[in-house]
Amino acid sequence: MSVSDFIKGLPIHDSNNFAHLSNEHGIRTSQKRASVYLPTEDVASEQLIVMDKRCVLLRYLTQQWDKKTLQRKREHGGEGNGNGNGHGSSSTTNGNNSKKRPRLEPNDLN
Amino acid sequence: MSHHYVVTAQKPTAVVACLTGNFTSPTDLNLVIARNNQVEIDLVTPEGLRPLKEININGTIAVMRHFRPPDSNKDLLFILTRRYNVMILEARMVNDVITVVTKANGNVSDSVGIPSEGGVIAAIDPKARVIGMCLYQGLFTIIPMDKEASELKATNLRMDELNVYDVEFLHGCLNPTVIVIHKDNDGRHVKSHEINLREKEFMKIAWKQDNVETEATMLITVPSPIGGVIVIGRESIVYHDGSNYHAVAPLTFRQSTINCYARVDSKGFRYLLGNMDGQLYMLFLGTSETSKGITVKDIKVEQLGEISIPECITYLDNGFLYIGARHGDSQLVRLSSDAIDGSYVIPVENFTNLAPILDIAVVDLDRQGQGQIITCSGSFKDGSLRIIRIGIGIQEHACIDLPGIKGMWSLKVGIDDSPYENTLVLAFVGHTRILTLSGEEVEETEIPGFASDLQTFLCANVEHDQIIQVTSDSVRLVKSATKDLVAEWRPEGDRSIGVVSCNSTQIVVASARDIFYIVIEDGKLVEKSRKTLAYEVACLDITPLDESQNKSDLVAVGLWTDISAVILSLPELETIYTEKLSGEIIPRSILMTTFEGIHYLLCALGDGSMYYFIMDQTTGQLTDKKKVTLGTQPTTLRTFRSFATTNVFACSDRPTVIYSSNHKLVFSNVNLKEVNHMCSLNAQAYPDSLALATKNSVILGTIDEIQKLHIRTVPLGEGPRRIAYQEASQTFAVSTLRIDVHGRGGTKPLRNSASTQAQNITYSSNILPKPGTGTSTATNAEVGQEIDVHNLLVIDQNTFEVLHAHQFVAPETISSLMSAKLGDDPNTYYVVATSLVIPDEPEPKVGRIIIFHYHDNKLTQVAETKVDGTCYALVEFNGKVLAGIGSFVRLYEWTNEKELRMECNIQNMIAALFLKAKGDFILVGDLMRSITLLQHKQMEGIFVEIARDCEPKWMRAVEILDDDTFLGSETNGNLFVCQKDSAATTDEERQLLPELARFHLGDTVNVFRHGSLVMQNVGERTTPINGCVLYGTCNGAIGIVTQIPQDFYDFLHGLEERLKKIIKSVGKIEHTYYRNFQINTKVEPSEGFIDGDLIESFLDLGRDKMRDAVQGLEITLNGERKSADVEDVIKIVEDLTRMH
Repeated sequence: MSVSDFIKGLPIHDSNNFAHLSNEHGIRTSQKRASVYLPTEDVASEQLIVMDKRCVLLRYLTQQWDKKTLQRKREHGGEGNGNGNGHGSSSTTNGNNSKKRPRLEPNDLN
Repeated sequence: MSHHYVVTAQKPTAVVACLTGNFTSPTDLNLVIARNNQVEIDLVTPEGLRPLKEININGTIAVMRHFRPPDSNKDLLFILTRRYNVMILEARMVNDVITVVTKANGNVSDSVGIPSEGGVIAAIDPKARVIGMCLYQGLFTIIPMDKEASELKATNLRMDELNVYDVEFLHGCLNPTVIVIHKDNDGRHVKSHEINLREKEFMKIAWKQDNVETEATMLITVPSPIGGVIVIGRESIVYHDGSNYHAVAPLTFRQSTINCYARVDSKGFRYLLGNMDGQLYMLFLGTSETSKGITVKDIKVEQLGEISIPECITYLDNGFLYIGARHGDSQLVRLSSDAIDGSYVIPVENFTNLAPILDIAVVDLDRQGQGQIITCSGSFKDGSLRIIRIGIGIQEHACIDLPGIKGMWSLKVGIDDSPYENTLVLAFVGHTRILTLSGEEVEETEIPGFASDLQTFLCANVEHDQIIQVTSDSVRLVKSATKDLVAEWRPEGDRSIGVVSCNSTQIVVASARDIFYIVIEDGKLVEKSRKTLAYEVACLDITPLDESQNKSDLVAVGLWTDISAVILSLPELETIYTEKLSGEIIPRSILMTTFEGIHYLLCALGDGSMYYFIMDQTTGQLTDKKKVTLGTQPTTLRTFRSFATTNVFACSDRPTVIYSSNHKLVFSNVNLKEVNHMCSLNAQAYPDSLALATKNSVILGTIDEIQKLHIRTVPLGEGPRRIAYQEASQTFAVSTLRIDVHGRGGTKPLRNSASTQAQNITYSSNILPKPGTGTSTATNAEVGQEIDVHNLLVIDQNTFEVLHAHQFVAPETISSLMSAKLGDDPNTYYVVATSLVIPDEPEPKVGRIIIFHYHDNKLTQVAETKVDGTCYALVEFNGKVLAGIGSFVRLYEWTNEKELRMECNIQNMIAALFLKAKGDFILVGDLMRSITLLQHKQMEGIFVEIARDCEPKWMRAVEILDDDTFLGSETNGNLFVCQKDSAATTDEERQLLPELARFHLGDTVNVFRHGSLVMQNVGERTTPINGCVLYGTCNGAIGIVTQIPQDFYDFLHGLEERLKKIIKSVGKIEHTYYRNFQINTKVEPSEGFIDGDLIESFLDLGRDKMRDAVQGLEITLNGERKSADVEDVIKIVEDLTRMH
């Protein structure tokens, strides 16, 4: 495949774009800048981005804690869950977690 | 206290990021360009790129990306600033009016995080579910995009990978999945992480690939249905999607590193890659369809051609690309399937970029009190010198080659009721030619009533549809309709006409000492009066002062011998006023004109200078005499109308346009080399134009409405580092860096550049012994390895030809450069400091200071001295050489034996990078210990430390504003001013340089130089500014810092505070926050500086907003305090804008 084949069929959004632009007179040099946007009307931002200021380490630890206590709860409560499930791949563990979630959500809301 | 005004003359030009999308409407194709603190939105049109709006962001843009929300047909813009402010912007266009709405904004900084070493990176999920950022080591910051929530909760996720080089989101994943290149002790690896947005944590690693290329730097994610990622390394490209793996190592990649890419088609088969050498490649993914869907089967890479060294690339439409650059001009290029000279890339348009400005020289070559700036701009192959001066531009529309024009007039011939002119009369020695303009075509024609075998002195349309032609023989009146002669007037005897002037009803003709007044009637020329003056007439004018009138009551005359301007009254030609012009240069052109209701008499002399007076319309009295130098050759004054105002064009070797603003005359340069004659031209194909006669041609063109910076480029093809100007030899010396490559038979330059094509080339023979290993790197070097070769170029000040190149042998590099007159020696020398840069050494240990003399087209080395370290800075100091060498500041004197001898020495720095001197005082800018003031005690021959700023700052440039005030720029983009407190009571206080003013500029200043961009000697200012320091920045901006008095500062500060409230910030970053002086965690409010860019935006406000802005503002005018009105403030701000 030659280079020209590479360049063939380049995407076209509007075939008119750049149609009147010719470089017969050589390369143009442009210094022109657009006019500056000066807004004077205050439009409130729809959404505010706020940073979760909680320490990453603490959050990690509480998450780990939650996971462990969950695990323990599960071990205590769910006799039916054998070792097979516990040793499953991480994805299935996650899958289990997500299955559990509906039960936790009402708590979160409270 | 210390008060300053800082304003940008040239906005930053380096492009940080660019992207293409539908922003202003679902159908508009827009190019969005980010430069330092600005975003430009362009529209792609059939005529090319049309800039729509420039949006100021109160912050330095670190990342700009775009995304399309799932339910939208328009793209949104995401911007992350250096101070970790984030914003999501939407552009809306209603009836060609753009509004930019901040959809979301906030700050994602972390008070304890360690900034990531790979710089800030941000990526957006292809389904716009989340924005991910690498800001701090070991953290991955996410902003989940919830359309419903009023708050978007950004969260830091713990990430195991500490050194991250690139992050992207994979396409076609159920959960948002990032892919990262990271480094550990074993090498670089690629790893994907799935994000659980609900739990805000990483869930699992979908797949990873350990040990990709050790220099892998960039990830390109491939859209669905192909999916996967392309990993770009230094020498190889890898495609990986978890199961499928392909790699190529294109040979052409060896030269340089790929640093940017653009996806061409939405399906993701083709990508454009740009490298740091300015090569453009296309990458093609070959695919095959299998039962599992489309899979990649091979990767092809082809070199397309050369572009500017790119920073970013984006595909626009129909094969056109935008190349954003920070080392050279940005470009619009077209991809062509047919190669031209082996290149498939056709440059279409260049967008001027001055960045990075490493050094500037401010010179007044024309001696007009107006500086031009010569910058060292760009790097590597895109290195150039840029000549920048303020002036009025002529847009050339047509050019006719015609040498030897002595005069030029435009006429309406046979079309008296038309608003347009159709004829151009050109006078030559001994004959006259007439050109007809029909459409854009120009044809030669004849007017039977004209004497075409004589040189025309004057030509004009006059009353009763007639035309006047004046030659040395006679005044001829021609009927426009028939083109036939209807009347002729000639002086008695053999006398010939010397000078002449007319308006539409009157003519004055002078022959030696005699002057004749003739009135034009229908088919008749009636001589009304004549007078003999004391001396010969040199120039004449009879332009009516009142524009509504077609006749004048006064004649202005310039006389030989006694060099005077005389005003005569009509019709009697009585002398009513005589003004003696001082000097011996005769007046060559005189003109009466009215600007903004004030009558002026302008009188240009044979040496290019001009007197101007205010003239009384009835008494002819001349007052307020002023003189200005416009050029060096005899000057001709012509009036023309442009944009409904009267202007005067002064034709000379330095063409100038004279106009009035706020009742003051403004003299503005025109960007043409030489104009001998001009006339205004309003032809159908050339409306509101000017015809300008240069030495060899006639240019038809239009004139800019306002004066602005004009930039001329002198490409060097190698990176300029330092520049010095030497008046004695009329040259510039420029130090440059060129890249050579080791070949089998020695080193060879990569490409032709200024230093390889100089008229003379010499080589530095005197190589210092290298410390440590004695072996030369050249012999051991691997073939193909690049080496830096430093050159000293001597460049002609007018033609910018490289007269001489003096090449240093690697690893000797030029560290500093100056032109100086030393001791009692009558010669002016170039002083060059070099150092031996050995990669293994933390800091160069050996260097030299060399004295060169450029004379008679020869560069000779006069002396040299060895120094033990890098000489970072050189300053001429009372006829001696002052040098900052490593941690020392040293003074060398120039002995009668033409040798440098060290006189004194002080060691009190980490590295004395910058030096400035004034009188006996020396200002030192240190690598990290801010600024120090030294004094040289001449009697004792020692340096004494006077005072220092004790707060650590990593310096980038210093300047002395006045004896006590010192300006500094530090590496975080801040400016500060320290002041010596001589009146302090204790020694301790006197030893301090307290920081009195501070300001966040948002760009790194590399160089300060005293000088002005505008003529200093003309146009009385109403604004009290003191001194003028120009600066050049990393991002290609040029600005001005000037001192202002307290009361003016208070007034501007009041205006600034009001404008902050009126002008809303896009992205909601407060102006006050932006201008805060911030070094790492230390934040102090800006003070002592007025943000001139904000002040000047006052002029762009609507009238009602202006009224709001001046509400309650007080002003002192003529010693009287009153509340300011809009007109007062406009005048003041306009006056401030005239600084640049």
